[in-house]
Amino acid sequence: MKEDDDATLVRRCREGDRAAFEQLVVRYQKPVFNAALRLLHDPEDARDVAQTTFLKAFEHLGDYDPSFKFYSWIYRIAVNESLNALGARKPHEGFDGDEADEAPGPDRQLEGEQMGRAIEEALMHIKPELRTVIVLRHFMHLSYQDMGQVLLLPEKTVKSRLYSARQLLRDHLLQLGTI
Amino acid sequence: MADSRHLSLIHAEIDGELDGQQRGELARSVLADPELRVLREDFQRLCAALEKLEDVEPPPELRESILGALPQSTAGPAWSWWSRPRLRYAAVIVALLTGAVVYEVVRGPEPPTTEVAGTMAPADTRTTLDTVRLDNGVVSGRVSLYRDRRGLGLRFEVSAGTPVDVLIASDGHTLRINGVGSQDKPAQGKPGVLAVALPGFRMGGQTVDLTFLMAGRQVGSATLRTVADR
Repeated sequence: MKEDDDATLVRRCREGDRAAFEQLVVRYQKPVFNAALRLLHDPEDARDVAQTTFLKAFEHLGDYDPSFKFYSWIYRIAVNESLNALGARKPHEGFDGDEADEAPGPDRQLEGEQMGRAIEEALMHIKPELRTVIVLRHFMHLSYQDMGQVLLLPEKTVKSRLYSARQLLRDHLLQLGTI
Repeated sequence: MADSRHLSLIHAEIDGELDGQQRGELARSVLADPELRVLREDFQRLCAALEKLEDVEPPPELRESILGALPQSTAGPAWSWWSRPRLRYAAVIVALLTGAVVYEVVRGPEPPTTEVAGTMAPADTRTTLDTVRLDNGVVSGRVSLYRDRRGLGLRFEVSAGTPVDVLIASDGHTLRINGVGSQDKPAQGKPGVLAVALPGFRMGGQTVDLTFLMAGRQVGSATLRTVADR
């Protein structure tokens, strides 16, 4: 149903209807912004990426293949723009357990906001391609198939990355004593 | 240490991808292996915590900044104008009109009937419906409204010190011809001839209104009627 609605809006956009594009912006600005935020961990950068994502979508709407879901296409743009923004930063070395500020005892459990911060920090300690699958799966709630469409990867590779990403997150959070 | 098979089952369980048989296999393995049970609980806690992270509202100005940054062309993206039916049809009509005008200009006036030999059909099947004479100090000569097998057309035999543009309007149709009078033939001492087909213009007793413009200013007008036998 939603895909049909998107398809209609995209068709109207292609006919030059800017109001239809505005509806797509309203519909997808939040998930696109949040995807960028989780990948970049910086609200300003996420805002810039979200804006660039929609501008690129507008410019390249003619290239969009309607046989695919629109959100897969625009999330792909958002992910690529986020990875480009990350690439422009100093390359991260990936998670290193020694970087933890503290290593509380295994029985220490963080709740609520603290847990959220710990997870966000842990996310920034894994490689961007692994962080991406976590974001798509747990924040965008995409299926393996949709993740494959976004990342242009086979489902098998998507699963492999997702399992690896969870393993690294678990290891990091265990070191912090948060799970 | 959990093997890759059991790890895959744990992740697939979290993602809701296990079938009944696999679920049973995992349950039996977890019961038999405390280490595997701890691992499963860790991943379940991790993923539950991930799911609890709430979405952040985007900045309020994001939508406006996106829309404000879009190209301002009313036609939208560069590819879109052709996909807009109205523009596409308009482009086709403009192309047809342009083609008709160019064809008539290149072809020039019809030859006199006497120059056409060896044909049984009348060489010139045009019927002149109306003619107006022009002599307003800026444009002089005459304009004829004719009908032939292709429809209505205008024949300009005018002189102008400076070429003028002509707006042609009839029954909701409009057409603009630029540079009328520029085909003067001074050496021959007579005005040049320009025939313009009017595709889409219909017979029906209505008038064809001409407005002569020079540098955007009206310098004359004329009205022709589509009824020949007034």
